Amino acid sequence: MAETGRLSAAPSFNLRADPVLALRVAIIIAVLVLWQAVAASGLLYRDVVPSLFAIGGALVKLLTSPEYYRNLGVTAGEVGAALLIGGLSGLVVGLILGGSRLLARAYEPYLYYLGPTPKIIFFPIMIMWFGVGPGSKVAMGAISCFFPIALSAAAGMRQIEPILIRVGKSFRANTWQMVSKIYLPAMRHPIINGVRLGLGVAIIGTLLAETKLSNQGLGFLIIQAYSLFDMPRMYAMLIALFMIAIAANAVVGWVGNLDRVKAGAS
Amino acid sequence: MSQVASVGAQGSDGILVVDDIVKRFETAEGPLTAVDHVSLSVKPGEFLAVIGPSGCGKSTLFNIVGGLVDSYEGTVTVAGDRVRGPHPAIGMVFQEESTFPWRSVIDNVAFPLEITGMRKTERLERASHFISLVGLDGFERRYPAELSGGMRQRVSIARTLASEPKILLMDEPFAALDEQTRLLLGDKVLQIQQELQQTTLLITHNITEAVQLADRILVMTYRPGRVKRIVDIDLPRPRSSEIVSSEAFGHYVAQIWGDLREEASRGMRDEETRRKA
Repeated sequence: MAETGRLSAAPSFNLRADPVLALRVAIIIAVLVLWQAVAASGLLYRDVVPSLFAIGGALVKLLTSPEYYRNLGVTAGEVGAALLIGGLSGLVVGLILGGSRLLARAYEPYLYYLGPTPKIIFFPIMIMWFGVGPGSKVAMGAISCFFPIALSAAAGMRQIEPILIRVGKSFRANTWQMVSKIYLPAMRHPIINGVRLGLGVAIIGTLLAETKLSNQGLGFLIIQAYSLFDMPRMYAMLIALFMIAIAANAVVGWVGNLDRVKAGAS
Repeated sequence: MSQVASVGAQGSDGILVVDDIVKRFETAEGPLTAVDHVSLSVKPGEFLAVIGPSGCGKSTLFNIVGGLVDSYEGTVTVAGDRVRGPHPAIGMVFQEESTFPWRSVIDNVAFPLEITGMRKTERLERASHFISLVGLDGFERRYPAELSGGMRQRVSIARTLASEPKILLMDEPFAALDEQTRLLLGDKVLQIQQELQQTTLLITHNITEAVQLADRILVMTYRPGRVKRIVDIDLPRPRSSEIVSSEAFGHYVAQIWGDLREEASRGMRDEETRRKA
């Protein structure tokens, strides 16, 4: 699963030599051409499907405005804090559930039921608890990423080769050494996968919350553009956001591939 | 049976003394005695092999001596110190693939030293020493995935040796390897044992391996696992794998197979009846 979802056919850019890359590029071109055709045809209201040039212009304007970067910083900070809080608590809960058959049987069903629940229903509560500022957004992001990370960590812990645990015990590693030197490194792939899923839903949770009730952040900018009916700007924002999501995913995947190098340095 | 069993614990000159171990398991078909009044003693510098058919409880014995199993009857002592849980003087080498895939060879070997809190420069130095002892110079920075099965098992052995155990405890360390690699690694073990005067307890089902390596061989019975016989191997040291073609070697192999055959066929029949049921 880790392999198939990766968007990094990085090295070769030779379209003829790489049919996968050629197909990927082809569909993007097809969508752009179709979009431009629809925009030019006037079949839909001009502002709903603005021309690529209008979007491109808005994108340039957006990417050169300090306002965008300030709000990007706010959202990035919220997502980062959410990932930190939700991720660490998810990791701890996952380790506990992964380590205890009894607790896993008792509590893991809750995680499975709550995991797929749309977290936005908690937003009103979070506003009451943490206010309309970044606090409630962080909370939404944290709740969102807690579940996939906890479940991945619990599953990952159960997949650790028992022999590695026996080796650790035979060398008399204490609990902390077992966790830091055996459990966590042995679980690196499921954990990174969990963080990847968690990052995705943390971004979703945070942005969704921002679009609902906020006065800053990318979600706020998008909904502001929408209410001002500035469609090129809104599409530009979506494109920018899309790029950020891809970049974030690539970074997490890259960190995941680092493990050999990292292990060598420890 | 008790007087036969007591043959194992020859006096008190052993550095590792296993005294009257009994281990029972609860199974679906009722209680099962895996190890039945087993005693043995390993003298300092001695290489003792425990051999038995599958299901003789030798792996259970390995885990008990290694301190990974509790709730058994009898005692295990190392230089008079009772073993309760993994003992610092005992280093275990497992049958399974047990290197840490996320650590390079040198970091694998340095693992036990990291656990005891040795300084980094010192532990890496010590680890390199044991890496070259098992003949893996130049592979320090490689990862287990880049090595062959035999090389990985040598990493495991080096890792355990790096903890400088008084007693090296090995459970069929070469079981997953082909016969030729096994003989050659046996040479390596002989050479290391020669060099370190390493007291070793080897658990195995491989007769050739046991005769090639051991000073004494303890033959176990099939279920319940008891001590059937102890055979002194009077082959000259230093030895090498070439010894397998000698007449004396063949004689020992035949003698031990004579003992084991009966047990192994009993195990085979038992296995068949259980599968039929």
